Amino acid sequence: MADTLPLRFRMLHYVSTVKKASADEIMKALKPEYGTEKQFTKKVFVNHLLDMKANHILDDNDVTLDDEGELVIYYSINDEGKRLLKKYLPKGWNQT
Amino acid sequence: MEYLKSLKLLQIFHKGESIAEMSISGNQKAIMMKEKLNADFTRKGVFTGLFSGFTWGLNSVLLGLALSMIPVMGENVAIFAIPLAAACINDSFAGLWLLLYNSGAGRLKEVLRSLKTFPGQMVCVAALLGGPIANGGYLLGISLAGSAYALTITALYPIVGALLSRIFLKQQIVPRVWAGMMLSVVGAIVISYVPPEGVNSETFYLGLLFASLAALGWGAEAVLAVFGMSMIDPKVAINIRQLTSGLFLAIFILPIVGGWVIVSQVFTLPGTLGAFAIVGLAGAISYLAWYKANTTIGVAKGMALNGTYVMWGVIFSVVFLKSPLTQNLVIGSLLVVIGATLVAINPKEFFKKGDVT
Repeated sequence: MADTLPLRFRMLHYVSTVKKASADEIMKALKPEYGTEKQFTKKVFVNHLLDMKANHILDDNDVTLDDEGELVIYYSINDEGKRLLKKYLPKGWNQT
Repeated sequence: MEYLKSLKLLQIFHKGESIAEMSISGNQKAIMMKEKLNADFTRKGVFTGLFSGFTWGLNSVLLGLALSMIPVMGENVAIFAIPLAAACINDSFAGLWLLLYNSGAGRLKEVLRSLKTFPGQMVCVAALLGGPIANGGYLLGISLAGSAYALTITALYPIVGALLSRIFLKQQIVPRVWAGMMLSVVGAIVISYVPPEGVNSETFYLGLLFASLAALGWGAEAVLAVFGMSMIDPKVAINIRQLTSGLFLAIFILPIVGGWVIVSQVFTLPGTLGAFAIVGLAGAISYLAWYKANTTIGVAKGMALNGTYVMWGVIFSVVFLKSPLTQNLVIGSLLVVIGATLVAINPKEFFKKGDVT
């Protein structure tokens, strides 16, 4: 079993395994790994995503409004994000 | 009319992000909400950067006050051991405050997880550049050349950071940014042109050299740390940075310069220890804000806004320590601030993402 990644790193990795994902979808997918931790909040996840977008490793080109009129942003990994993962993802983790 | 409508829609999007690249599955309202969210996030980053400058200025002045509480121990000790011991205590206290903060927020595990990754280890390297080298140089600079001069020289670190980010992060720097940075240089020269009366000129210039080393260390630190923070939490990164720096200074540097004598002195004086704890808290808040700003709004902008600490340091010194406010200090500080502002405005126009090889 590979070491648990830092949350931001793991989020980047998860987004690389899907075409696109919203903060809620990422939270749902990572709940088994980080769900018991105090940092496991929507605010923390949204903040990580905004930071990674600002650092040009994620794109946020897909948006919609949910049934309650709340904004949902779908993030996808770009070439720079893929390059970083390929180079720095620890052993035991696969980049798909 | 239709053209104007399209133009307005175009303006809604970020520059550099063409409509062709946008896959619009939501409606216009969703896009506008996203743009507002991103704009608010950037604005918050700008204020965080300014706040980091404000608190770093406060940290500098408070550190000066805490240092004055250490008993006189001879000239050699005063020049080397005290500043380096102070850097060690400052970073160690900041690291402990951040450990408490991260522990409360449930991020303690993140510290160890991050240290196991390459980006986390790069933050440790950044810590050595920014801690022992830059902070040590900064304090030695203040000790040898006086705080007004050392503070201003070290404020030039955004130029170093911009140059390094151009080389290593392949960031483009347009003429307006250079103009802003040059203005900061001129401001610094205005401040440091005439050495203060009665100062040993040899010591003075050695102080400027140490201050330059600090500028180099901080610039390199910011670039390396921002690389690391692409993949690890800035709040965790700054914790690693402060603890690494404090430990390295304590284990490898203080024994060489006799700094442990100072540390044990501080620990026997509860008032002085308390003062250093407060200084460390200001340092922790400042660095936390700096790292967060750097990763949110980019290295150059974060550093330029942090660089306003020169102005805050002068204001705090004048208001709280009744330091004389000379004409040179006022004009020079203003130029540094105007230069930093020029660098900071609309970073996306200045720093386009290039191909990173």
